[in-house]
Amino acid sequence: MSAADIALDVTTSRRHRAAGLRPVRLLRLARHAAGALWSQKAKAFLMMIGTAVGIMLLTAVVGLSAGVQNRINQITAFFGPRSIMVFAGGGHLHGAGGRAEAGTTLKLQDAQAIQSQYGYEAVVAPGIFSGDANVKAGGVGTQTHIVSSTPDYSEAFDWYVQEGEPIDSDDERSMARVAVLGATVATNLFGAEDPIGKHLFINNVPFVVKGLLTSKGTSAMGFDQDDRIWIPLSTGMNRVFHQDYIRFIRLKVRPDYQVASVVDQITQLLRQRHRIVPPEQDDFRIITPDFIAQRVQSMARTTELVGGALALVALLVGGVVLMNILLLSLSERVPEIGLKRALGARQRDILVEFLSESVLVSLFGMILGVLLGLVPVLVIPRLFPMMPMAVSWKTFAYAALFSTGVGLLFGVQPARRAAKLNPVEALR
Amino acid sequence: MIELSNIVKTYLTGGVETPVLHGINFTVEEGEFVALMGPSGTGKSTLMNILGLLDRPTGGSYRLAGQDLTTLDDNGLSAIRNKRIGFVFQLFHLLPRVSVLQNVLLPFLYTEPYPPDAKERAKSLLQSVGLGDRMSFKPNALSGGQQQRVAIARALVNEPSIILADEPTGNLDSVASGEILEIFDRIHREGRTIVMVTHEPDVAAHAQRVITLKDGAVATDERRN
Ligand SMILES: Nc1ncnc2c1ncn2[C@@H]1O[C@H](COP(=O)(O)OP(=O)(O)O)[C@@H](O)[C@H]1O
Ligand SMILES: [Mg+2]
Repeated sequence: MSAADIALDVTTSRRHRAAGLRPVRLLRLARHAAGALWSQKAKAFLMMIGTAVGIMLLTAVVGLSAGVQNRINQITAFFGPRSIMVFAGGGHLHGAGGRAEAGTTLKLQDAQAIQSQYGYEAVVAPGIFSGDANVKAGGVGTQTHIVSSTPDYSEAFDWYVQEGEPIDSDDERSMARVAVLGATVATNLFGAEDPIGKHLFINNVPFVVKGLLTSKGTSAMGFDQDDRIWIPLSTGMNRVFHQDYIRFIRLKVRPDYQVASVVDQITQLLRQRHRIVPPEQDDFRIITPDFIAQRVQSMARTTELVGGALALVALLVGGVVLMNILLLSLSERVPEIGLKRALGARQRDILVEFLSESVLVSLFGMILGVLLGLVPVLVIPRLFPMMPMAVSWKTFAYAALFSTGVGLLFGVQPARRAAKLNPVEALR
Repeated sequence: MIELSNIVKTYLTGGVETPVLHGINFTVEEGEFVALMGPSGTGKSTLMNILGLLDRPTGGSYRLAGQDLTTLDDNGLSAIRNKRIGFVFQLFHLLPRVSVLQNVLLPFLYTEPYPPDAKERAKSLLQSVGLGDRMSFKPNALSGGQQQRVAIARALVNEPSIILADEPTGNLDSVASGEILEIFDRIHREGRTIVMVTHEPDVAAHAQRVITLKDGAVATDERRN
């Protein structure tokens, strides 16, 4: 060996130190570490159980969160992100049902007052939902939902006619007996025929079909939105259902205005009109996508918190177990470490080999945990459609992050101990 | 090649100083085959560990090919161990979980850049020590002599200029020892520098030069042709 060779060695080693650890070398050492794990599969399995359990819980929790977020997005999309629903009747439960006796205080005049004061901020469509009305056409009878609402219904719900004409202000003013059909009702009553211009009876009151609504399909909650008929509100109140109250006021906030401030304004206005002084309970409920999101989220939050805490505990316990098994098995591997140092392993190489083992074992634990955790995520929504669970990229991101973290955090002490061994003593 | 001047080694264990080497001076030329002899406990292994850069002397200087190595850090020493020094141990020190071939490839784990012909080199070395048909075996399926031949192949795979062997035949019967020594003779003929510790005069007879240590110092240093 020449002096130049030695000088070369020294400069190479300096360059390596400056460059830290080259990726090819890291890969080589990691592959070697994988082999070491493979040769002691039973021990490796023990080492990964804790991580697997933790990641399984994490996967389920993230699946629940993602499902909740999906459900919220669906509901928001279905509801309309800038929409407000005012329902007749007090209480805090959401939904259009409510308490019947409390549901008669919302009047058309309330909607008209909102329209005249805040009509520039929002489209206002008052109306009545009537479930299970009897509808007949020719020899065919069926039951369907009747929506009695003003011409603003289309804009307020973003739901327009596909064929024929919508309900217009003349129809509203004259209590015209005209109907706009949803796709399902149209098919049920008229089959393949064009229903426009045809006659039908709603609760024995004769109507003429004026238009067809675009098809919206089945909603996120699983009901057929096309199973409905839209008639003028005045007709519904006076000619079909004979009632002087309405069940809802739908608002769609115009682009330059805030949903929250419109909610405040109409709350004040309705309380004033109904002479309600808090803490007296409102006799109406105002529902926005935010409100629904909060309710759905608060239902899931406890499960998320408990599940998340359990996942964290499992990961920590798993990490401690991992560390102790690594420390225990270190003594068996002392000769191996001495040999590798003699063959040219730097302290850092030994550190990397042992850290690779702990990280790899955690990553295998992660794979096992994700697979196990995906079982409830995929199965539960099938068994209980109300339980929202979904697979999300976050599942994999969190799983990778946490398992790598466990491997590094709990692997570093055994790895440093291995790297610091005196090679001469290790070889003895 | 190897220049030792006044190498001192004192172990310090639990506050107790154990002086082992008291000023070792000798030079080994390139291509020499040196046998290191002496009674047990006299410091031969200690000296070999210093020569192999596994341990640092307490005093004195060690120059390898003119370069003072006492100032190098762990990374620098590791790189030189990897490329320039091949170790053969009494207890073979093979990695039991990997194949014979993988054992021979082990030094390349730490070699930068990784030689593209690593596998070919390992295979041809295994063939040259008569183990061409055992490459996929695990070490414990081999006899002691065969295991030591694997260790020699491993020591040679990175083409080091120095081979350090601490009692390489100490655990072998005479037939296996003979085979091992034949291999050492061959690699000596190929021009490598060899320092070998042994207790047995007939083993030392393979070397051109015998250095005897006694009480941590060089007692005799004889060359023969
Ligand atoms: N790490 C150590 N700490 C203290 N004493 C040691 C250590 N290693 C070796 N020794 C002592 O140094 C002396 C020389 O040991 P060694 O070099 O192994 O001798 P040899 O190889 O010639 O038999 C022995 O007395 C041994 O007990
Ligand atoms: Mg010895």
